[in-house]
Amino acid sequence: MVAFLVLIQLILLFITLKEKVEADSLAAVGLIALIMLTILCGSRYLEWHHKEYTYEKIAVAIWIPVGAVMCYALNSYVGLGSVMSAGIVGTVASFLPEINRKSAYLKKMPPAIYCGAFIGMSSMAVAPSIGFMLAASMLSGVIYILSKNLFLGMGGKLGTMAFGGVILVSLINWLV
Amino acid sequence: MDYLIIIVTGMVGATLTFYVSAQLKQGRVRASALLSLLVSLFFYFFPEVLNDFLTKSIPMVFIGTSFIGMVTSSAKTSYVRLAVAGGLFSIVYLNKSQFFDGYGGALGALAFIALLTTLTFSELLLRKTKFLAGVAMLKKFFSRTNP
Repeated sequence: MVAFLVLIQLILLFITLKEKVEADSLAAVGLIALIMLTILCGSRYLEWHHKEYTYEKIAVAIWIPVGAVMCYALNSYVGLGSVMSAGIVGTVASFLPEINRKSAYLKKMPPAIYCGAFIGMSSMAVAPSIGFMLAASMLSGVIYILSKNLFLGMGGKLGTMAFGGVILVSLINWLV
Repeated sequence: MDYLIIIVTGMVGATLTFYVSAQLKQGRVRASALLSLLVSLFFYFFPEVLNDFLTKSIPMVFIGTSFIGMVTSSAKTSYVRLAVAGGLFSIVYLNKSQFFDGYGGALGALAFIALLTTLTFSELLLRKTKFLAGVAMLKKFFSRTNP
């Protein structure tokens, strides 16, 4: 799963690198190549992960599609824009643990819903339907379950998982 | 000038989110979402304040770097490292491929890239400094024992 998360980042950087090579932008090529090497080195040699491998519960990951569909509706149908939609969904989700502060389950809901909101930030051109959202959410949910103890506390981990789901569904869409 | 504003926005986004999350104890999700919501609301109601490029880019860069600020305080981080990561995010964002425009989570993946790169670099520099200090100590030790 570490390899998968790193691969997603490398794909993003590689396509950017390819564009910059074609544009003869040497400074950008050097910077992106250096970042790619650092990511490979950092994910391989530095300890960001728990030694014990555990999984997140399905009951938590099930909130990812909820966040995705809510954000997608606000973004695409209401027309609030991707940042405001994700902001609204994330802010509302962050207050859910206040319902019962002792509940461990409620505390796990905001990150899952916010992860879904990132999927919902996709544009209509990329994600043309709710079906696409649900498929991407389910795949991101699987990644979310499997990567519980990986890259602990790292910012951007939720977004990378969301991006993984969207990329995979787009790839399947393109292949079929 | 526009690029400088974007870079500063990135630095502010990452550090401010971390401050609200860790210092004000509002939680990582609320810190990122609420601050991003406020920034997007500002540009929603005042779209004429800045030019088109900044009006579109600042909310995107802010929410992207707010993901960097969602890092936990236990992850060997500091405000300087977060500011560097935010700046790096902005530079990569300005150079990123148009291919991924509209893909949900792309900003989060970029945030992850910027943070991982910054933390790895600072760890390597720290290790190199410790290694060089060790070599200096050994040199000192041997120069004393073999005058």
